Amino acid sequence: MSAAKVKMRQKKLRNQPASVQCLSSSVHDESSPHPNAGVFARARAAEVSAMLRAVTKTTGSCHVFGALPRHMRRRAMSHNTKRLPCRLREMANRMREKCLQGGVKKKEQAKNKSRKARRRHGNMLLEFNRRQRKNVWLETHIWHAKRFHMVKKWGYCLGDRPTLKCYRPSYRAMSTHCLLQDLSYYCCLELQGEEDKLLDCLSQSMYCFSHSTGPTFAQRLCLSGQRQGSLVLYRAGQFPSQPLGSVTFLWRPRTPGSVHRHLWTWVHPTLKQDVLTEFQSVCQCQSVVPPHVPLVMDAKVVSTTDLEPKPERKHTPGTKRKQSEKDAGGPLAKKILGDGTRSPETPVTWKSSSTGILINDLTMEIVRYRLIGPQSHSVLTEALEAATDCDVRAPSCLWWPNHCKEESKMKLHQQQTDLFHTLKGVYSTAELPPGIVLGLTVDDPRLSIPPKRVKALSCVKEVGDEKRKELSLRGVPEHCCESFLWEQSVRNNVTENKISEQDLNRMRSEVLVPGSRLSPVPLQGRVPILLVHQPGKQVGHEMNSWGAGWDLLLPKGWGMAFWIPLVYRDVRIGGLKMSLTHSQNKGVPHFPHDYPDCPAGARFQGEQESELLEKFKRRPPAKRTNYIKHGCLAPFSCPWQQLAEEWDVIGSEGGIQAQSTSLGDIAMRAERTSHHQVPGTKQQTHFTVLRYLVFFMTICYVMFTLVPVALLNFIPIILFPRTRKSLRLLSSWCGPTSSQGQRSYCVREMPPLDHTAKKSFLASHGMSLVWVRLSLLLKGKPDLHAMVSVPTADDLKLLSRGGPGSSAPQEPPHRDHLKSTLKRGKKGTKKVASDTPSTSGQITTTSNDPQLSCPASDVVLGVWPNPLPSVTSHCSRVTLGWVTQADFSLSAGCGEALGFVSVTGLVHTLISQPLEHRGTVLLRNPMSLQYRFAKINIEV
Amino acid sequence: MVRVKSRYLLCEINVTDRNSLLLLNDKAIAAAVKEVVARIHGDYGAAMCSLRFSVKYLNTQTGMVFLRFPKMSYKLLWSALPFITSIDTRWKKIPCFLNCLHVGGTIRTCQKFLIRYNTQQLHRMLPNCQNEEEKEKIRKAILSCSIIQGAFEDERDDNEDEP
Repeated sequence: MSAAKVKMRQKKLRNQPASVQCLSSSVHDESSPHPNAGVFARARAAEVSAMLRAVTKTTGSCHVFGALPRHMRRRAMSHNTKRLPCRLREMANRMREKCLQGGVKKKEQAKNKSRKARRRHGNMLLEFNRRQRKNVWLETHIWHAKRFHMVKKWGYCLGDRPTLKCYRPSYRAMSTHCLLQDLSYYCCLELQGEEDKLLDCLSQSMYCFSHSTGPTFAQRLCLSGQRQGSLVLYRAGQFPSQPLGSVTFLWRPRTPGSVHRHLWTWVHPTLKQDVLTEFQSVCQCQSVVPPHVPLVMDAKVVSTTDLEPKPERKHTPGTKRKQSEKDAGGPLAKKILGDGTRSPETPVTWKSSSTGILINDLTMEIVRYRLIGPQSHSVLTEALEAATDCDVRAPSCLWWPNHCKEESKMKLHQQQTDLFHTLKGVYSTAELPPGIVLGLTVDDPRLSIPPKRVKALSCVKEVGDEKRKELSLRGVPEHCCESFLWEQSVRNNVTENKISEQDLNRMRSEVLVPGSRLSPVPLQGRVPILLVHQPGKQVGHEMNSWGAGWDLLLPKGWGMAFWIPLVYRDVRIGGLKMSLTHSQNKGVPHFPHDYPDCPAGARFQGEQESELLEKFKRRPPAKRTNYIKHGCLAPFSCPWQQLAEEWDVIGSEGGIQAQSTSLGDIAMRAERTSHHQVPGTKQQTHFTVLRYLVFFMTICYVMFTLVPVALLNFIPIILFPRTRKSLRLLSSWCGPTSSQGQRSYCVREMPPLDHTAKKSFLASHGMSLVWVRLSLLLKGKPDLHAMVSVPTADDLKLLSRGGPGSSAPQEPPHRDHLKSTLKRGKKGTKKVASDTPSTSGQITTTSNDPQLSCPASDVVLGVWPNPLPSVTSHCSRVTLGWVTQADFSLSAGCGEALGFVSVTGLVHTLISQPLEHRGTVLLRNPMSLQYRFAKINIEV
Repeated sequence: MVRVKSRYLLCEINVTDRNSLLLLNDKAIAAAVKEVVARIHGDYGAAMCSLRFSVKYLNTQTGMVFLRFPKMSYKLLWSALPFITSIDTRWKKIPCFLNCLHVGGTIRTCQKFLIRYNTQQLHRMLPNCQNEEEKEKIRKAILSCSIIQGAFEDERDDNEDEP
């Protein structure tokens, strides 16, 4: 028998009684001749106990069900003791407890409440409030969390993309009907003060431009409050360099007889802190106004719930559970409105003693919904109804009855209502002048919610034609832009006095005809809102004003009350992904993604790089793409600075060179020269982005008002009209046609591209990058960080010969120096140990090579280690730039990419190309060796 | 589940002199049984007895013995048991006879029976005692096995801690 078997047998027979027998013969002599009854009784007793032990103890196995015959054992018995027969259950329970205690030393788990208890409203609110403390939840969070993949970004929980497959339907909604997004995470900063002082502070330090020409906060139309403006902010006094990012802003219309103005600046959350500190320093608003109790009412309530220690939920057996819970949870369960992460002591208001300017941080105080698409106005007009007036004589704590008493306010309301009704007759949202603002007071939209989802469609009527025409030409008159949403007291009043869903449902149930509209409207049900038009695509010549829409601004707390009625008008809901697609189709840079020169953009790039690198590392090493072999230097983030510097060097070299030299040669030479430079001697000029921003302007509009050309550039010395001109120039040089399948258009006469023009152009824009759109000529779908390269003359010949598909060139595979060095290094060390003279020479050569002598510690195989070699001349085609947004464009029907290229490189490329192929570049994905022809487009 | 089935016989060895009981061992008993079966039932019986017959347990102090027979032939073998009159040990021949108390399908039932039987015996001994000293001892014994029954739970808990 094997040792294990013996052991098993021993274990099995551990409790079985052994035979009691005396082997020695001496027993016989010692034992007394007459054994008394006592000895005998003891023997019997001993036997009984032995037998007892044998009977009660089962086999050696520690499981209780070892006591059962095999055919009665079940696998589930091991964890469910109720499967065991009754007689074994108790023992099994005890064994289980012992196992749990002793075995793993598990942490003592708090006893969870039952599901029913957890789902009770008060407890649910408590749980939600606890979960909101780290990341801010939007008001539509629960709605989104049920339907979206949520991501935690910028301190918020945001919906990334729906769990449904709806990429295409969402695109269709954007181009034909309406797409809804919750943009409440955008932060609103409010500036209050006298108009002159505000403008002084903002303009003198934000820009070196005079207001008359520059797109500043002082834009005339925007200043009147009729339009929403948008611009790129720079650090105070640093105008040409150090941009902060793009913001949109909105002025409150002037109240007659007062110079006190309000300005709302909407910034992205990544940008908020930068802008806030900038505003503070510019306006000298250093003194903190302590949070005012009635003003920050809700925040206070939240704070008390946060700070109060949680009551111990121990129930003495005598008291009823429900009662004690009510006592403990009653005052606590208050819904968090606004920013749940902020402590109440955090200052939200700053005041300047010298200028009297007040800065207010209105983050999460105002809900912002964006409706994108041509039918968004009909969705709005169907979901919202202008407030009905009420005649209550008695003074009321609600705001609307008080307003109804004033004649002027009611007149204004009437005018606004008329305008809103006019909006119904508009055919498409894109007809309206971009950026118009309409203030309004509406009824509670929950009252008119349809029983089923219905698609909102516009009803174009011929009547009221003049009114409509006037609206689409002139926009909204100044006084109609006023809304009571600007008033903090009204906002708070509305937020506090919202009818709860429960009360509303109760009122609905009391209606005589079920499902009919509630009337009269309860007094609390009037909400001031602000409608802001968002312009669509404004650059380029095709698909004009695609993706126009409306922004709906609401007081906080009313988010869900407006969201559900909007959803019931059969709109699609989009997440963060969809806003990226939106801006991609519009051809505009998306905020943190495509602003590599801003601190927020740089931060985003770093995050994206680490994210992509992590994703790359998660793959098994044998399955990873070897980017070195693909000749891709920067698959995860783009070294814009290096690109700009290298092209600067190439440009200066190329100016001296004869025209015939190919770009590749120049690049190689330039690389060599730049290698000789010590890094310290390089000029520390940062790359710049040749940027302009169209200020909501359409051609028909120019005829009515003198809109200063809204354009921002990034180039020092040059005044911006010339920048716009130079962008136009560059655009015209790029070639006669735009992307695939679009009609060609006529441009004004531009100076042709020749060497003198080039020289003068590059003198001013040496270190710049320019935002371009690339559309693929043939097949192919570009990827993120695809390379834009210059085609050689042979490539262009291939293109003109025109074999479909196969004509594009291929990159010859590169050698993975790093891998071979690592291998050689391993072998080399071995050989050095054995001391062979032949390999020592090899080792010295490798150590001489500056690129290869990198430390092997933090090297990821397949990715270039950090001091990158020359990015331009690394591949067989010279690199111009990279792509930051790329996808198959559903609107153009071909692959389209957006990205930055070097201005110097672009001009050099264009001048060397024959006229019929001008503006043709090559695009190569990081994971492939295949180049694709693409047409470059600069849209002005 | 198929298994080889047996019958277990719980027998009591009755001797005149209790001290001679101490000389017994299981081999001697097995030999005696085999011998008597061969004598009564001939070669057939001997063959039956050579197959899966064993003495599972022997207590020389109380004279209890467990015999295992194959189930199919236990009646035959059992019928031979009354013919045992003496058991040969190494030193001497012990005159005795076997009294079968219980026939069980498993050892466990026999053990259970034995517990019941022994306690019963102890209780029976109690009124037959000659003097107080004996009575006290028997009482102690009864108490001890009943105490053991109570204390057994604790003991088992301790044992479970062993690996």
